[in-house]
Formats: sequence, C-alpha cells, structure tokens
Amino acid sequence: MSNPLADMDKPDVIFCIGTNMTECHPVAATRLKQALARGAKMIVADPRHIGLADLADVYLPIRVGSDVALLLAMAHVIVRDGLVDPVFIAARTTGSEAFFEHVGKFTPEWAQTITEVPAADIERAARIYGEADRGAIYYTLGITEHICGVDNVQSLCNLMLMTGNVGREGTGINPMRGQNNIQGAGDCGALPNNYPGFQPVTDPANQAKFEKAWGRKIDLENGITKVTALNLAGDRIRAMLIDGENTLLSDPDRKHCEHALRSLDHLVVMDIFMTDTAELADVVLPATAWAETDGVCANTERRVQRLRAAVPPAGEAKPDWWLISAIAKRMGIKGFDYASAKDVFNELCEVSTIYHGLNWDLIEDGAYHWPVPEKGHAGTPILHQDKFKNGRGVFMRPQYRDPAETISEQFPIWLTTGRRLESYHTRTQTGRSEGMDYLLPEETLEVHPADVDAWGLTDGGWCKLTSPRGSVEVKVQATNRSPKGTVFASFSFSDVPINALTGSGYDPITETAELKVCVVKVEPCEGIISPAPVI
Amino acid sequence: MTVPTDKELSEHWRNEPAPLLPLLHAFHDRDGYLSDEAIDHVSQALKIPIAELYGTVTFYHHLSRREPGSHAPQGVAAPRVCMGPICSLRGGPAILEALKSEGATAMPCAGRCDEPVPVLRGAEVFVGMTPESSQARSSPMPPPNPDGVEECVFAAIREPGRAGIDGYRKTCGYEGLERAVAVSPDDVTEIISESQLAGRGGAGFPTGRKWKAVAEASGEPKTVVCNADEGEPGCFKDRAILDYDPHGLIEGMAIAAYASGATRGFIYLRYEYPETMNILERAIGEAEAAGYLGESILGKDFDFRIYLRRGAGAYICGEEGSLLNSLEGKHPFPRNRPPYPVTHGYENLPTVVNNVETLASVPHILRRGAEWYRGLGQNGHAGTKLISLSGDIRRPGNYEVPIGLPLQTLLHDWAGGPSDGRSIRAVTMAGLSGGFLAGDDLDVTLDEPSIRSVGSMLGAGGIMVFDDSRDMIAVAHAAMEFFAEESCGKCFPCRIGTQRLTERLAGGGQGQGPTDLTEWIDEVTDIGQTMKATSACGLGMAAPLITESLMRCFPRLVAEHVKS
Amino acid sequence: MIMKSSTAVAKMTLDGEEVGFTPGETVYEVAERHRREIPTLCYDPRLEPFGGCRLCVVELEGARAPVASCTTKAEPGMVIRTRTDAIDAHRRTLLELVASENRENDVDPLRGYASQELATLLDRYDARTGRFAGSHSGRTRDDDDNPFILRDYDLCISCYRCVRVCAEQQGDYAISIKNRGFATEITTEFSGLLRGSACVFCGQCVQTCPTGALADRKALANAEVPGKIEKTRTICPYCGVGCSVDVMTKGERVVGVQPAMDGPANEGALCVKGQFAFDFVHHHERLVKPWVRGEDGRLREASWDEALDRAAQGFLKAVAEHGRYSVYGIASGRAPHEAAYTMQKFIRMGFGTNQIDNCSRA
Repeated sequence: MSNPLADMDKPDVIFCIGTNMTECHPVAATRLKQALARGAKMIVADPRHIGLADLADVYLPIRVGSDVALLLAMAHVIVRDGLVDPVFIAARTTGSEAFFEHVGKFTPEWAQTITEVPAADIERAARIYGEADRGAIYYTLGITEHICGVDNVQSLCNLMLMTGNVGREGTGINPMRGQNNIQGAGDCGALPNNYPGFQPVTDPANQAKFEKAWGRKIDLENGITKVTALNLAGDRIRAMLIDGENTLLSDPDRKHCEHALRSLDHLVVMDIFMTDTAELADVVLPATAWAETDGVCANTERRVQRLRAAVPPAGEAKPDWWLISAIAKRMGIKGFDYASAKDVFNELCEVSTIYHGLNWDLIEDGAYHWPVPEKGHAGTPILHQDKFKNGRGVFMRPQYRDPAETISEQFPIWLTTGRRLESYHTRTQTGRSEGMDYLLPEETLEVHPADVDAWGLTDGGWCKLTSPRGSVEVKVQATNRSPKGTVFASFSFSDVPINALTGSGYDPITETAELKVCVVKVEPCEGIISPAPVI
Repeated sequence: MTVPTDKELSEHWRNEPAPLLPLLHAFHDRDGYLSDEAIDHVSQALKIPIAELYGTVTFYHHLSRREPGSHAPQGVAAPRVCMGPICSLRGGPAILEALKSEGATAMPCAGRCDEPVPVLRGAEVFVGMTPESSQARSSPMPPPNPDGVEECVFAAIREPGRAGIDGYRKTCGYEGLERAVAVSPDDVTEIISESQLAGRGGAGFPTGRKWKAVAEASGEPKTVVCNADEGEPGCFKDRAILDYDPHGLIEGMAIAAYASGATRGFIYLRYEYPETMNILERAIGEAEAAGYLGESILGKDFDFRIYLRRGAGAYICGEEGSLLNSLEGKHPFPRNRPPYPVTHGYENLPTVVNNVETLASVPHILRRGAEWYRGLGQNGHAGTKLISLSGDIRRPGNYEVPIGLPLQTLLHDWAGGPSDGRSIRAVTMAGLSGGFLAGDDLDVTLDEPSIRSVGSMLGAGGIMVFDDSRDMIAVAHAAMEFFAEESCGKCFPCRIGTQRLTERLAGGGQGQGPTDLTEWIDEVTDIGQTMKATSACGLGMAAPLITESLMRCFPRLVAEHVKS
Repeated sequence: MIMKSSTAVAKMTLDGEEVGFTPGETVYEVAERHRREIPTLCYDPRLEPFGGCRLCVVELEGARAPVASCTTKAEPGMVIRTRTDAIDAHRRTLLELVASENRENDVDPLRGYASQELATLLDRYDARTGRFAGSHSGRTRDDDDNPFILRDYDLCISCYRCVRVCAEQQGDYAISIKNRGFATEITTEFSGLLRGSACVFCGQCVQTCPTGALADRKALANAEVPGKIEKTRTICPYCGVGCSVDVMTKGERVVGVQPAMDGPANEGALCVKGQFAFDFVHHHERLVKPWVRGEDGRLREASWDEALDRAAQGFLKAVAEHGRYSVYGIASGRAPHEAAYTMQKFIRMGFGTNQIDNCSRA
C-alpha cells in the first residue's frame, strides 16, 4: 500500500476494484465503512455483487477481465471534463500528453460494449473520482490475477497520476496483500530478480555488495519464476525446497502442478500439516506454527511487526529458519550459524536498504513502516510524498485485451474464483479449527438464480463444472451475488479442487496466473456419492 | 379504494423530510400491523440497517407486530384502551376487559382525562365510561375563566369557526405574523424576550433566548420543531389548542421561523390524537393556500414550510432529544446535552424546539405587546399557564390561569372542588412528574418558585386530583409503573431505578424489597436520590418525586404498605 | 524558547488542581490523563461517548446536578470534582443496582477482554451488598447454538457497547436494541439467531462486553484447563492486514485469542478467522517429526539426522547431475521474515543462482 491502514477512514472518495475486502481483509474494510459513515463516497467495480457493492454510491458490475476498458474510459472522462490536476502532472509526471491522446478514443460508450456497464455509470464514477480532494484506490487479486494484471495496475496508476491522488493522507494506490507475510517474503528477497530490499540482482553493484556480505558471487541474471520453474520441473528443474505452501491446491491447473511436482528428483517440504503437496515430497520437515514461532512479519501497509511464541513447538517441530539452516550446514554452505530468529533478522537489516535503520529491538511495538533507510529514520507511512522512487511518475498506455479464454459455444460461462470470509486459502488452518464448519461447511458454486433455472440446475443440487483443463463436481447455490452468465467458487476445499479448472493464461511480465477468469460449462449431475460407512 | 403497494408507499415518502415515522404509519394503517416484510421493505427504501429498524419499531408501543385477528376490519389495528391514572379509576379496566375479544390492549394516558375513557380504534377515538356509551366525539372546549380573568392562548379559542382559516382571520388571525414580518427578526425576538415568555412544556427556558441562539448559530437549513407529543399523564392542554386553534400554532411557528431564520418546521404530534392530525393537516393546507406558509410569505424574503409527523407511542419522545432522534428515524433515546438543539438539533443543525402552548402564545404577544402579556401574571409573575385539571373534581378541564394564582383558588373557586362529602387527599403536579402535593402543600401558588419550594414542579401543567376515597399507594404504584414502562433504557439509574421502585410499591403480594421499614425507606431513598442526581434526562430525575412525596405526605400509609 | 501555539492549552480545575486540556477533550479524558480512575461501564474509548451508565458522573461547579464526564466537553475555567462523598455514594448505589439485575456477577476471564469490568468495580466500591433485590433483566439465548459467541444475556446490563461497536467500529449493524426500559434486550433483526443475520462473527461485541454476557465460546471451552492465563502479543496468522492479537495460554496450551486494543493495524478489531480460528495449533494432525519417503515409496517418520541428510544429499545430487540451476526454492507468504531470508540465502549462497520465488504469483 502506498498509504497506511490508518488512512483508510480519511479519503473522501474510495475506489475499490477487484477487492472483496469485507471478506478477504475484513478488518481493513471496517475502516472503509467508518469513512462511509463520515460521508465518504465509494465506487466499487467488481463482476460480483460483493458486500462492498451494497455500500457503494456507484457500483460497476464489469464483465470479468474488462478492467482495462473501464479504467481507460474513466481516464477519458477525467481528461474530457478537465478534472486532471495540471500542477501535479507538470511537477511529478511524464508522458501525460501522449497518454491523454491515447485515451481520446476510449469513450464510455466504447467501454460499455466491453465491460457491459452502462456508459452513464462509468461517467459518474469517473467524475466522482476525478473531483475527489482525497481519492484512494484499493485493489486486490481481482486486478493482478489476470493476463493483463500489469496493464490493470498501470491503468490504476494513470488515474492516480492524472488526478494527483498520491503522496498525501487518504489517497494513493493500495494493494491489499492476502497473506500475513506475503509482503515480507518479497521484502526479504525471495524473488528471482531482487536481493533483500528489492535490490536488483542484475546490478553489479548489488552483486558486489552481497558478495562482500555473504562471501559468494551470485549470478547477475534473474532467476526464473515459480510458474516457469513448475513448467520446467523434471526438465531443467530437478530439486525443490518448498516452505509452507500447498501448491497443489492453491496454484492453477492442479493436474499440471501435480505432474510437475511428481517429476522432480527431489522435493523437500516444510510445513505444519501433511498437506496434499507434502504428500508428494521426499522429505517432510515439521515446522513450528503461528504462536510457536518468534520472528518478524510485514503487513500490507509495510509495517514491520513482531511475531512471538506463546507456547512451545508441537513435538519436534522447528522454526523454518532453523530447518533451512540445518540443511544448508549439512551441505557445507557457509553463513547459516544462527542461534535465533533475532540473529537472522538483524542480518537482514544489515543487508537490506529498506530495513537498514531497523533491528530486532526497534520493532518491538510495530511502529515502523519501511523504508527505514537509516538509524533514527521515523519510517515511511506514506510513499511517494515528494517524489517517486524513480523520479517522475510515468503514464503508460495500456490497451484492452481479451482474457486468455473467452466464452464460446462449448464453454459458454465465465468462471471467476476467490476467497470467502470464513475460510483461509486451502483451509490447512481454518479447516482444522473448531466451529468454522458451522459457518461454511462446504464449497458451493454461486450461480445467478435465473441461470440456475435456465441451465436446469437446482439450488442445493449438484452440478458438473468443466473447463478446457478439467472437471469438478460442486453443489449449486443460487444467489444474486453472481451476475448472469458468470459463476463463482473459491479454491478452499480439497474435495472441490477448483484449481483443476483454472490456469488459462499468465501475465507475460509477472507470470501471475489468470485465476480470475476462465471459461466453463455447467451441467446438472447426481453429485459426489459419499463413501459407504465403515462397519 | 385500491390498496397501495409497498413500493407506492415507499416512493411516496422516501424523499420527504423525516420519512421513517410516516412510512411506518402508512404500512401500519394499510395492514393493521407491521409485518417482517414491511420492515424489510422500509429498511431497504430508507437505507436503515434492518436490525436497527426492527429494534426501533419495538420501541413504539402503538406499532403492532401482531397481525390483527380475523374479526378485525381490514387494516385496523386492535383497539387500545386508556389506562392512565384517571381512566383506570373511571371504568378503564372494565372497558379493556369487555374489548379483550377484539384483541384490545392497554395504553398509557391518552389525553382525554377531562372526559374519560378514550379508546383508540384506528384513526378514531371513542370516549365513554362504559363500552356501550362509548362514541367518537370532539374533545371538550376549555371552559371560560370565572370573573373574566384574562386569557392569552385561549382568548379567542371559543370564537366560532376559529379552527378554519376564515374564522381565524376574522378573529385577528395572522395579524401577529403580519406585525412580525414588518419588523426585523431581531426585533421579533426582542419582543418575545421582553414578554418573558418561557417554555410552557415544563422546562421554562426563556423563549426569546432560544430563538436568538438559533438565529446566531451557524448551519442551514434551520428548523422549528413544535413538540406536540403531549405524553405526560393528566395533560391535555395542547390537544385543546390544536383542535380549536390550529392556526394559532401555525402562526406561532411561522413567527418563530421568521425570528430564528428557519425554513422548515415539524409538528411532532402524539399518536393518540388522530382527529387532531386531520385538523392540523387541513389547517396547514389552508395556510399554504393563503400564503402564510410556503415561499415569499407575505411578500417577504421568507420561506417556511411545516411538515406534520405523528409519533408512535413513546412518552420519552416528549423529551426534545428523543423527539429529534425519533424524527430523524433513529432509536429514540435522549441525546447528551450539551450540545443543545439550538446548535445541534434536527439533522445536527440549529433548531428551535418549542411546546405547542409556547408557540400558540406568540401571535397574541406580537399582536398585543410584551407588556400586555407580562401583565397577565399575578404577584410579579409574567404571563399565563394552561392547566389541565382532572380527577376527583367537579369541573375538570383546561384552564388558562395567571401565573401565580393560588392552587386552592383553581381547585375550589374555579373548578368547584371535590364532590359532596369528599375532600381532596392529594393532587399530582406536572402530570405525574411533580409527584404529589397534600395537606399544607396545597397552599402553593401556581408558579415554579412556589411549587419548587415544596419539592415539586409545575412542569407541563397537568394536575390530577385524588379525593379521600383513593388508595394512594396504588396510585403511586401505577404512576411508577408508568415511568418504568416508559423508561427508554438508555441510562442505568432510570432503567433499573424505576423498576425497583415499582417493585417496592407493588401490593397484593407482588412487591419485592425489604419488609423492614427502615431498610425499605433507605433503599427507596437511595435509589431516588441517585436517580435524581445522575439520570440522563428528566424522566429519571422526576420519577422518584413520586416515592419522595409519598413518603413525605403519607408516612403512615407507607409503613402499613411495607408491613403488609 | 518560543512556545508552539498548540502547547498553549486551556486550563480547568480538577479536584483543586489546575490542569491543561486540548479543546475537544472530554472531562473524562482529561481526568484519565491525570489518573483519576473514574469508573465506567458503558465507555469504550473507541466509541462515541454514550452517557448511559452514569458511573462517570462528577461534580461541576455551577451545575444543578452532577454531569457525566464522558459526554461533557472540558471548558476553560471549569471546576470539577471527580470524587466526593456524594459522588461515591451515587456510584455505589448505581453499582448495587446493576449487580441486582444479574444472575451472577463473577465470570471466567476467558469470556472476553472486558469481562471483568463489572466485578472489578463491585469490589472497588464495596457494592456486593445484595441490596435492591428484584427481578432480573435480560434473557439468555440458549437457542443460539453458534460455536463462537455465547449470548448469555442474563448478565446483560444494557450498556449497548456491543451494539455500538458493531455499528461504529465494525460497520455491520447486525445487532440492535429491542423494547425499552427494564425489558430491553439486545437483538438481531426479528430476534433471530446470529447466523442468518448481518453478523460476521468478528467477536468485537464479545471483547467489549463489560460483564461477559457476550462470551467467547471457544476460549470458554478451556475454562477447565488448569493454570493461570498468560497473554503473548503477536500478529494474526491470516491475511495481510497484520492485526495485533494477544494469544492467551494456560501452561503449554493456547486457550484463546483477544484483539490488541492498541494494535496499530487493527485497534481492537479482528475478524472471525483471527478471533476464533486458533486451535489448529494443537490439532492432532500437526507434523511433530520429520518424515522421509521410504524404499516402499511411502512416507515414514524418520530421525532428524536421516531427514536432514536426505534433504541435503538430494540437493547436492541434483547439482552434481543437473547443475546448480536445477535447484529451486519457494518461500512462504505465511512464514516469518527469517524463513524467507534464509530460503533466499540458501539458494543464492548454496548455488549462486536466483532460482527463488515466493507464492505471491498464485
């Protein structure tokens, strides 16, 4: 996030796109609701009539994967109606003229043909955001999990730049991160292109810096992404170390994933449960769980906070850093003589530019947002205040592209996927906590009531859902949350592996999968026959 | 007549000011109750969270959630029988019993104490001492004062046709407004200040000061709210004004609006006066047609509209904070003060909240002058006060007395005293809110300083008379039960205190609390003192006056009660 | 030195002492800053002042009756007395009244964060006298069988903190106030169960309840676990908001979670997952030993030596046979910094490559 969570009750206009915040980031959503109670206006763009849509002043039920068209048309209106911020554009950006010309042809009427949202609503939304004193954009995976994820983000950046809604309280562009330390994983350099602190591996200066720190010269070439690595498993990739990820359920195209992992010569998995992924490993190492682990994490607002152990580990479980270090030491790799999480974190702070001003003791109260470049620095709750990291903000000129797959006679229905309030990811934790089943006992496919009738389904009955990659059987739930022609399911339940269907394409730059769109057909079926009781 | 659909009802009201109560009434009038579906529809139409709306509906005792029985006419809620302090002594219980088969329920004092017993059936009130004699009829006209003691509010009320605009104009109606708009708003406020007119709803705040504060407060639009939620048991004076001199109120509101800079007005009328609702609706229409309401009133740069809103059965809505919350469609709890309505009233904007009597005095003062009004009082007090007199007295009714008139003069000389062979055992003051006066206390004069000197208050001016045949413990118990039932539940001392005091006054083996007199008095005294000191609004502060005055006036009865 | 204008605060008198305040502060806030420990039951600093319990009344010179300090704004020149014999007597009477309406007043602290407030005040004001006996208010909803929130309204004292936190903090308006006076109840729409209402089981109502009338059923299930409750501050294990929580433990067992009222990201809020989905930690399926794949192709438990050797040898073999680019590491978005840092260092130091990623591309 460019701005802190505490800012979320301060915008006068909130634009939520591709974020089901009341379910996926419920506590952050409470702050938006407080802003609304104080009179803020909210625009919500989402194919599904999610909880936020009920609270919105303008709700834009866009067709899945049509975000770029919507955002180009909004930019068109903002330019056309003179709602741009010329002072900000002149002082802080570059490429505005070409961009303004670019959006000239993308009228709301044009966007209506793609997004299926009335042009008048697009105009209203654009004007509300364009007229905001403090406009803030919030998004989640509904923006990034597309083949055009980068285009989507750039389109949002354009809106922010042209209106100058950045670098101030209650503004900015704010991706909501989905896992408690997904921000931290990137911060710490678990990326194929960056050392800790987002220092590019391709920069010889960084290579030299880390050689000095660690004692080994590391390649100047980027590594491959996880997606490519899974594609190359059994070929160029032969051994993997996976920490706490249930790849088999969470990644797209389950069949492909399972094949990839089975193709490896050597798979080591660290986890707290024997997940579907761990079942495929050669070695499974027991990791300590939350409440058993000391350490550090960074949240979606870049706040660096302490995790503390409250109970001893289950059985012989060990912290992840201990497990990895133990393997490293047995392989004769130097630099893994850590005695505690504190040692590891303090070393991270030494080598990371964004954590350089921090150490284990300083983060006791979670008071810092990175970057904290040097000791004594107060941290950076709001990014881009006076300048952007690379100088000027650049207007990009994205074009609308269709999703990797579009509906056809054979697969006439859009499927979009996501998460639900009551379960977390693949339920390795929530599925093992008492009572969660009371709220969400099983997966269902959300279908518009009219479609339930039109497709010969019954509410509560079973259907077979088939994409070009596979089929699953799932119970039908009739609900107005789904628009006509689009169905929704989450990937939480292993008995309904929705990721058997997804995986139609990937963003060419980030290689993020288009989990938010694929095409399916839906047929009524008898349902899964429960196994006969053991007598 | 076609029955309106849900959507027609919500479309009619959703964009009106203060739409919740009228929309709920529209459903209630159509169906005879509020169904789940109706509440759901209103919740969506007005964007009120459904749990909150459901809770608010349960607050109002006239909003039935039960479908009327099959015998009931379509769309008419079950009858409601007055069981106020006077009616319950004059046949109320028998009527309630007789109407049980129609699903009748009891309601607190419905403001017809001068002519019991009212039964509310849909949009009509029937009165009579037995079910057979019960008939719908207009409320009694206030009797004229003896010896021509001069009146203000009632001065022209008995003129024929006064309730219609033609009759009103023939009797100098709207001359006050004409005089007002001929001078500056500040000048109008100055006249009212000089008259020493003060809030006649009971609080006694100087009216001129209130208007001035609103005129000077920032924020628009400003509002004049007329508090016509005459819920105090034993009070029915506002009803007389509204029924027979509705234009007097409208004119008073228009003058208040002119003086304070308000452009919108509300009359918040208690539910129990359905006929009055029609009278006011007609009068507002007439005033609009005649140009006394609307835009550019009397050719001046002065716009003012009045919206009529009807309560739904909650005594606390006579408290101005609750009333404003109720208008706004919120849960009708009292508001914390400060801030006061003069700066943070309706929709948090500057608002004049005045009682009917206060506003109805205004046209007369404008027409006849501040000095004239001041001179109507006695013994150095300014102006008049309407007294609703009821109970064991020969001539019950509304009297406009000079402030400072001896109470005994009113009781005996004006109203004829108790019936033959009876003596007055006690009277209540301020309806029920002033507790009881008895014995030497009855020698007070009708002004706040005198009445406060005996631990009571004049308040809204309701006086109920109980003769020596009455069981004062039972009367006190019924009074405290009323306060307990009407306690809103917001503050602890009132919510629990009224309940505990009721339990301590209950007879017939229903009582709770100590059986030792000293302990009983300790508990009742402690509860009362804490309620008076710490309650959040006047209800909780006033309720313990019942027990306090009971212990003071009737210690022997109390001792016998505790023993039994 | 030049004083900044914001430090030139207004003055009032508090128990005879002249104190400064910032315009906008309430008398209660000023008094709390000066450690007056004014009792309250309806107060939650995150909520709009309500003025219901009246325990916070103080004497204001010139006022006819005591005023509620929580709703009264400090004004220059105010003279306030926070404790007098009369004020103490009223507070005690109020507490005796409150105590009289409940089935019981002492509850297990596992019920919720604020659950001890009433009992603590009863002790402080010596209000366990049994005076003011009478009927009880509230009606426990035994029919609501949801596994998270016990609705033990016999203990409800109508402070409405639950209703207000649901509206003002959570923004869900799932619960409200039914009826009035002593018959007041906390209700959902049409008096139904929490499931099926707008309730999302975030537990905020539970944690603000000052009597334990709303209680954390999952924590309360551990009431019989022996030991004293300890609290450890950490971060919720779920989404990226990073809510601060206090993990409650008895001995080696996690018995519940409470939100950190001073958590910078959440300020006392949690969601159903962070509040109630904590017991996976002790689930019987936890991995408690290393496992390796045996000759038979099945996973079996192994010693640390065997497992770590197997892990190390496999990577060395891959490098030997297929080169250093053949090893790949995937870090977790759920594990701490130390895991991700050692993982990337393992790949970079072990193989000199950048064959490392995390799960954020899923």
